[in-house]
Amino acid sequence: MSSSHDTHAAHGAASTHGAHAEKKSLRLTLHVWRQRDPNAEGKFATYKLDDVSPDMSFLEMLDVLNERLIAGGEEAIAFDHDCREGICGACSLTINGQPHGFERETTTCQIHMRRFEDGQTIYIEPFRANAFPVVKDLVVDRSAFDRIIAAGGFITARAGSAPDANALPIPQVAADAAMDAAACIGCGACVASCKNASAMLFVSAKVSHLALLPQGQAERNSRVLAMVEQMDKEGFGNCTNESECEAACPKGISVSNIARLNREYLRALASSD
Amino acid sequence: MSVTGLLLIGFLVVHLAGNLQLFSDDTGEHFNAYAEKLKSFGPLLYVAEFGLLALFVAHLALGLRVTFENRAARSQRYALDRDRGARSFASSTMVVTGVIVLVFVIVHLLDFRLREMSPDGLAAMVVRRLSEPAGALIYIVGVGALGIHLSHAFRSAMQTLGLNNTRYDVPIARAGKAVAIVLGVGFALFPLVYFSGAKHSTHSASVRAAVPSTQQRSLADEAVSSRASFESSSSGHSEEQR
Repeated sequence: MSSSHDTHAAHGAASTHGAHAEKKSLRLTLHVWRQRDPNAEGKFATYKLDDVSPDMSFLEMLDVLNERLIAGGEEAIAFDHDCREGICGACSLTINGQPHGFERETTTCQIHMRRFEDGQTIYIEPFRANAFPVVKDLVVDRSAFDRIIAAGGFITARAGSAPDANALPIPQVAADAAMDAAACIGCGACVASCKNASAMLFVSAKVSHLALLPQGQAERNSRVLAMVEQMDKEGFGNCTNESECEAACPKGISVSNIARLNREYLRALASSD
Repeated sequence: MSVTGLLLIGFLVVHLAGNLQLFSDDTGEHFNAYAEKLKSFGPLLYVAEFGLLALFVAHLALGLRVTFENRAARSQRYALDRDRGARSFASSTMVVTGVIVLVFVIVHLLDFRLREMSPDGLAAMVVRRLSEPAGALIYIVGVGALGIHLSHAFRSAMQTLGLNNTRYDVPIARAGKAVAIVLGVGFALFPLVYFSGAKHSTHSASVRAAVPSTQQRSLADEAVSSRASFESSSSGHSEEQR
């Protein structure tokens, strides 16, 4: 949704004002991480682009580069993407040292080249964490998150069809907090930005949104214990409460969820069921 | 880490309260009496000291484990790594400040706990040590590192224990800063006061932990600028003790 709005807005501005400077294409130097397979040694490859449209999204810029690589008989750069409208969590990339780039609460697919300067050098690396092994180039295997969800991020109660409004009393505060936590798209930027490669923000968001709602109560204790156990098994680091994850999260998930996760964990440990 | 850390903060509060006895009179009698009282607990004191040592070692061991696990979680580092500005100087230097505090605590124990008690009392030993330039420097650096460590520690411990939420986050953050300032500045007062020779002026006995930071800074300035006066005051001081 927002991506098409953005693009139209950019076109509109350019055509009405005839702003020549805004439409001027960019020359960029890209240092892109290339790695043949999980076991191969990776290294940066340098590519120069001298006609990047400022209206392109970051991923479209990579598409253009890939078309040229393919035309030149080289192998295309592998990177993850799907919806390209900031809601699926498939895209990743560490752009100039920051997962999803420098814009706050924005996924890589929602970054546009007009935010970069002519002549800029851009480093593009995969998300780095041992729990997210590189598959190829910029693609990392984030199935550790799937295994954490499989360990407990679900409810077993039959939810049925949507109930009548207010049939299930949920305080507005709880509904809002649950919705905020449920905004997590599982992209892994929290892990990638954490100095310890900890997955606490992701797990806390998933535990929180279910613990806050009545449907999540049945497995409330077993869920948090199982998900934390799986998280530790996957080899993520520990949380040292520096909040870089919150600042890097494209959905603005708050670290107050991590405090709730810790609360839920202690509560479950103290419980007899 | 959070539990051992908070318990160690508890110890520091009591330690600072005990130290403030040094400022309650000019002769150090109150402080010496306090030290004697602690000694009179006999074996109980050893039990308490052992408990304290266990807490410290546990905090250290957990810290080491967390650090090694965290290093192991990302073996391939970023070529370019930029923060988002969320982490603070204190939060990113917890290991460094922790190691400085460890070294400081060892020096501190060698100075006052593992050394034979001077016949003129513990207070005189403390004053002598903190009047030396090297002693003052070690103590200021040691408690300075402690203050920086604590400025991240308290809030972090609260978060780990799940006691943080959107309602309490701001008060807890403020409490964390307050803990760091009161303990850091509180302990720094002793080397600053004794090194600068301020304790030997007539009104010095009224110096308290709650000195505003501006006054604190002026004490620090005085410490730097009054080398010359320190020379004379420290020599007068050692005569006093002999």
